[in-house]
Amino acid sequence: MTVARFEELDAIEMPDGFVWHPVRRHFDIRAFGVNAYTAREPGAHIIEEHSEKTLQHEEIYLVLRGRVRFTIGGDEHELGPGQLVFVRDPALTRGAVAVDADAIVLALGGKPGEPHQVSPWEAMFAAVPAAREENWDEAIRIHVEALREHPDSAALLYNLACMEARGGRALDALLHLQDSVRLDPKFADYAATDSDFAAIRSEPGFPEP
Amino acid sequence: MSGYEILSIDDLDQLESSDGTMVLSPLRRRIGFRPFGVNVWVGRKPGDRVIEEHREPYGTEELYVVLRGTARFAIGDEEVEAPVATFVHAPPGTFRGAVALEDDTRVLAVGAKAGEAFSPSGWEDFYVAFAYLRNGDEQAARAAVEEALAREPDAWQGSFNAACFEARVGNIDAAFEHLRTALERNREGVEPYLATDPDLASLRGDPRFAELTG
Repeated sequence: MTVARFEELDAIEMPDGFVWHPVRRHFDIRAFGVNAYTAREPGAHIIEEHSEKTLQHEEIYLVLRGRVRFTIGGDEHELGPGQLVFVRDPALTRGAVAVDADAIVLALGGKPGEPHQVSPWEAMFAAVPAAREENWDEAIRIHVEALREHPDSAALLYNLACMEARGGRALDALLHLQDSVRLDPKFADYAATDSDFAAIRSEPGFPEP
Repeated sequence: MSGYEILSIDDLDQLESSDGTMVLSPLRRRIGFRPFGVNVWVGRKPGDRVIEEHREPYGTEELYVVLRGTARFAIGDEEVEAPVATFVHAPPGTFRGAVALEDDTRVLAVGAKAGEAFSPSGWEDFYVAFAYLRNGDEQAARAAVEEALAREPDAWQGSFNAACFEARVGNIDAAFEHLRTALERNREGVEPYLATDPDLASLRGDPRFAELTG
């Protein structure tokens, strides 16, 4: 597939109101990061509030359609079609809400000086529809596939453990959760209250914060 | 330098190619974006070429996104009319090109090689340098040439383009110096341009030209 109109891309709604349209994944682009976003409704998030401290990405957000209100490092800017914000500093918090219902933002990003790597969060986002339908086998398959590329991603392991716990695979869930906590102890704090782990929290070996 | 920058594609320079068939808005250079290549191409009126017909023989993967107007893309064996928010993916080696179908059509071009850290390509610097030169800004042009040579000091293309640049501004000795370096690095690469490149016109009557190229 070499050509796609925006409407032909998948549209995956995230819990906090933004809708992910996976451009990179659609074409299986390996050389750079590129995705598009819309919002569930005017006033809802179109770009989730985040920084790039972990991935160290430089990012460009380019408005393709409609008007969008960005908040970058606490400053507000309303942008329209053909306007863009280049966020050079990975530590800056950035996010945006849609002003118009049909607004589209194109997001481009990567880490300078390194070959592009597909970000682990893409698999977590891609698994959302399957998880929403409680199709745990599919959600687990997407995570396991991504884990081959990112065996040391604590977040990916944690999410995989969530899917496995919900899908009744208690032992796999426990092992992957332990791997996740080993890589990043903060995931033990998350696991302590995460409802996904309700079925395995009393198991021996469940990580303590 | 601030941690972020806001601009419009209308704020970017519009620089014509040497043969006047293409117009580039050099976004990557303007903002100093480092992870991969990103630029905007402009078709000022219907029928203008907005993406050059070409392949990427050295492994660059590209994505084109129509930002304004409509373009007709040729991609592989396909032809497709592409309005705003159309995405055209060109894997390495795939033939691609596009013409504008509306006034002021703008196409974003994103590109890099998979599995390699990105380094800006010298073509961008020299495209910009020659455009600045035609616009009468020799100082900005020279800065772009020096940037390209510093980034890729061993590339024959850089030396050849620097020879063209110096020949154009009348620095004949410097032009021969760069031409000699380019020929030493890749005679086969340089030879096709020796007889026909108009930038070298001021060198051809000099005995050093025959001496170097004979």
